[in-house]
Amino acid sequence: MKQFALIVTLAAMAAALPLLIGESPYFTGIMISVLMMAALSSAWNLLGGYAGQYSFGHAAYFGAGAYTTMILITLFNLNPILCMAAGIVVACIIALITGSIVFRLRGHYFALASIAVAEIVRLSVLNFEFTGGAQGILLSDVSLWGLDLNSKNPFYYGMLLVLVVTLAITAHLRKSKTGFYLQAIREDQDAASSLGINLSFYKNKALLISAAVTSVLGSLYGVYIRFIDTSAVLDLRLSIEIILTAIIGGVGTLWGPVVGALLLVPLAEMLRSNFLGDALVKAGLVSETSGLGIFLKENLAHAHVLVYGIITVLCILYLPKGILGLFRRVK
Amino acid sequence: MIQHLLHISHVSKHFGGNVAVSDVSFSVDEKQIFGLIGPNGAGKTTLFNCITGFFPATYGDVIFDNKKINSLRPDEVCHLGMVRTWQRVKPLGSLTVLENVMVGAFSITNSIREAEAIAQENLQSVGLTEYANKSAGSLPIGLKKKLELARVLATHPKMLLLDEICGGLNHTETGSILDIIRSVRQKGATIVFIEHDMKAVTSICDRIVVLNSGEKLAEGTPEEITNNPDVIAAYLGGGHNA
Ligand SMILES: Nc1ncnc2c1ncn2[C@@H]1O[C@H](COP(=O)(O)OP(=O)(O)O)[C@@H](O)[C@H]1O
Ligand SMILES: [Mg+2]
Repeated sequence: MKQFALIVTLAAMAAALPLLIGESPYFTGIMISVLMMAALSSAWNLLGGYAGQYSFGHAAYFGAGAYTTMILITLFNLNPILCMAAGIVVACIIALITGSIVFRLRGHYFALASIAVAEIVRLSVLNFEFTGGAQGILLSDVSLWGLDLNSKNPFYYGMLLVLVVTLAITAHLRKSKTGFYLQAIREDQDAASSLGINLSFYKNKALLISAAVTSVLGSLYGVYIRFIDTSAVLDLRLSIEIILTAIIGGVGTLWGPVVGALLLVPLAEMLRSNFLGDALVKAGLVSETSGLGIFLKENLAHAHVLVYGIITVLCILYLPKGILGLFRRVK
Repeated sequence: MIQHLLHISHVSKHFGGNVAVSDVSFSVDEKQIFGLIGPNGAGKTTLFNCITGFFPATYGDVIFDNKKINSLRPDEVCHLGMVRTWQRVKPLGSLTVLENVMVGAFSITNSIREAEAIAQENLQSVGLTEYANKSAGSLPIGLKKKLELARVLATHPKMLLLDEICGGLNHTETGSILDIIRSVRQKGATIVFIEHDMKAVTSICDRIVVLNSGEKLAEGTPEEITNNPDVIAAYLGGGHNA
């Protein structure tokens, strides 16, 4: 109950944020990315953090939502709820096929197999005609379903809603039989099985919930950006960013993914916009025209993946339970 | 009428060319404490794995409670009322002791409150109550063995298969586990008990099967077994300190 109260309180504060800061597309855009990554990572966390099944293929479910929605809009101008529902169905079908193949495997093999399945999805989409192939899908309408797509606020609230629902599901599950079972599977599959836990049923349950949420986020994202291609929504890089966010915040904890996203997304944005380079120039430490200044300007923007990597290595070495692990009582 | 709760019929298990269990048959009656002994590598753990569904027997049948269970999964076997412990203990390390036992209890209830009550009861019966909120991974081996026991008891089994539950324990610890086993039988459960310590086995078992190199070497009461020349030869010949 305490956790539910916390979720509601923080959600209310987040909901008030756009009203307080007024119309700021840049800031709202970053916040949308934070909320989306927090929700993606929370959804992944159900399967990866609680059940210990490290999926490296979650981009497939994100892409399933995004592509299904964009295709249905461009072809039939279908209503948003139907698009999302269709996306969920597609994602769940992919999840069921994935689950039936990869849940026989354990440990590293599961991780590898989940990459393989996601790559098959990506390459298929790249080669099909109706998916737009390498060109991707562009949404030319700027008003859709009565929404002004130029305003970012609807997407801010959409992402926030999905995040809140995901956190509520997580908070509920981990205090339930299913939550206990998922953690038992994470700790020792043989012990779990001997105690009456149907391994494939519970792994698939976690995967389906996780895939459904991920797909909804993909649907929202597609319409928000109005352009998708495989490198934007089906890339392995996305799957990895989702995992790193959870690892850095704290795998298998309710709030870890949120903390991870609050830290990593703005950091990536700063690097991308050359915030650091500009700051050094402004502070007079580096001249804009000097060799170092030019080097920073040209390279820092691409460094966010490297920085993610370094932070992750440091986390694994020094904070194996993520940032939230620092605040947990040791039993 | 006495009926067999578990019937093992001509069970063999091959790993490639290695025959780990070879044509073993025996029956366990309700409320028995049944001993399964034999030198290291005799095939005892493998037989448990076949019985509880961790891998199928190559040949033969396993009948539990009048059902053929050869091709069932471990979780299905558990729901029929047969559950095993592990020679190499398998605590759910990052969960607490209480939560470990609750996982067992969830096989008979969906409610958190009930699971917790069942878990507390079983923690008490093995004497782990004071460790309820400790992390299971941090317990010393003696207490981990007790945790194994509490966790399977929480599934309210008809039959427990205990794989060297006293292995690596000192005299007092062994004694306290044997007491728990006796009281579990008192409440109506049947126990199959793999053990190295001959004294422990003969003191507690109603009936004993001896395995040697995968084959059944002898079967009988503790008295018959301790006087059996083949058994004595196998144990002494195997260099075992029985
Ligand atoms: N999973 C396995 N794969 C291959 N061989 C195995 C496996 N499990 C057990 N064995 C072999 O089966 C034989 C019996 O082992 P085990 O059942 O563990 O004996 P015990 O429990 O009586 O000490 C040994 O030779 C062991 O190497
Ligand atoms: Mg053994």
